[in-house]
Amino acid sequence: MTRKIARKTVQLSSIGLLFLVPFLNRKGITAVTGTLYSLAVGPVWLTDPVIGVQTILTTMRLDATLLLSLLVPVGLALVLGRVFCSWVCPQNTLSELFDALANRTGIRRLFTLPFTPIVRYTVLVLVLLASLVLRFPVVSLLSAPGIISVQAANLVYEAAVGLELGLIAVIAVLELFIVRCVWCNHLCPVGGFLGLLRNRSTMKVVFSEDGSRACGRCRVCIDACGLGLDPMEGRVYPYCHNCGDCIAACESVKGSENPLQFRFRS
Amino acid sequence: MRDQLLRPPGALPEREFLATCIRCGKCAQSCPYGAIRIAGLLDGIETMGTPVIRPRKVPCYLCMKCPPVCPSGALKRTLTKKEEVRMGTAIIDKKTCLAWQGTLCRSCFDDCPIFDEAIKMDDKLQPVVVKDKCVGCGVCENVCPADPAAIVVQPGGKA
Repeated sequence: MTRKIARKTVQLSSIGLLFLVPFLNRKGITAVTGTLYSLAVGPVWLTDPVIGVQTILTTMRLDATLLLSLLVPVGLALVLGRVFCSWVCPQNTLSELFDALANRTGIRRLFTLPFTPIVRYTVLVLVLLASLVLRFPVVSLLSAPGIISVQAANLVYEAAVGLELGLIAVIAVLELFIVRCVWCNHLCPVGGFLGLLRNRSTMKVVFSEDGSRACGRCRVCIDACGLGLDPMEGRVYPYCHNCGDCIAACESVKGSENPLQFRFRS
Repeated sequence: MRDQLLRPPGALPEREFLATCIRCGKCAQSCPYGAIRIAGLLDGIETMGTPVIRPRKVPCYLCMKCPPVCPSGALKRTLTKKEEVRMGTAIIDKKTCLAWQGTLCRSCFDDCPIFDEAIKMDDKLQPVVVKDKCVGCGVCENVCPADPAAIVVQPGGKA
């Protein structure tokens, strides 16, 4: 279970930092600045890859500083997959909360969408196309983590939040009543783009019954998956965001000889 | 009174700025005076999330900390000299300016960061804006004792 505790700790610390960073910035401590659109950690700049692509499309220019700031986030997604979503993104943390709330209170979501990436890639293409045609940063306005972090700073500075948080309210209603985890699974352009970067050697959950790793078909991994995936199927992409909850659940039953593991090659 | 929003130093021309700014709010975080505020949905969907300076609340003190932090280049990162800033131009309303109405007042002149260059006092001790030197920081608008301010920055500049 330490795996799960580690993730929850990182998730909650990330939310704490959304408030602490702007607070320290105003006090003159600027080692870390920025929001989840673009961060500066000391001399290293990190910009959300889809926001970088959007800006190339809206400006029709390649800005060296912007391109450099994409390196670390793109590299991270190439190697570790969508860990931003599962370990850092405040919207995913909220979505997990919405899901837990719906499950606790027995709310039945109206629809289930099949797990096909068509919806998310269509959304991604549409918002990028809209950015290009309108010469307007449409993706920025639809980045839930970005909006949450900018509004967290606003709360620190002005003791007020903007109506932009309406997007988060819409997501809450959608996920509580209409479709489970619909934002993170099907709509979010930030996660959608990070998912595109997955390749053959990106870290992934692998189901393998080699040697003594026998699966008991106890289904704890299915119950543990916040996205409603079935890790025993062995291929849960492009949805899986490497949170590791299924592995943690499996470990709690099977110990170290569990058939679910993070691997770089399948 | 102002038909456009006043942007931080180094901002691209408005249309280009709206296309380039990623709404990240980093410039607002870098501003030690809290002069840069983030426009909300009520300011319009086009400007939502963009940085705005409202000089009557807090003007820009030209510390030049914000241009270099911009990740997208919506603020020209290479801008370092405050004299080269062109956020807009201050315009005096002579009908409400105390000095132009005969009262002794030189608040704007005294506090102008481009001292004795962007605002000069003429031979009748009335303030006059020198358009080529004015950077549009809004300090004059902030300190003007008239209400509403008799000197107002008209946004939009050359750089």
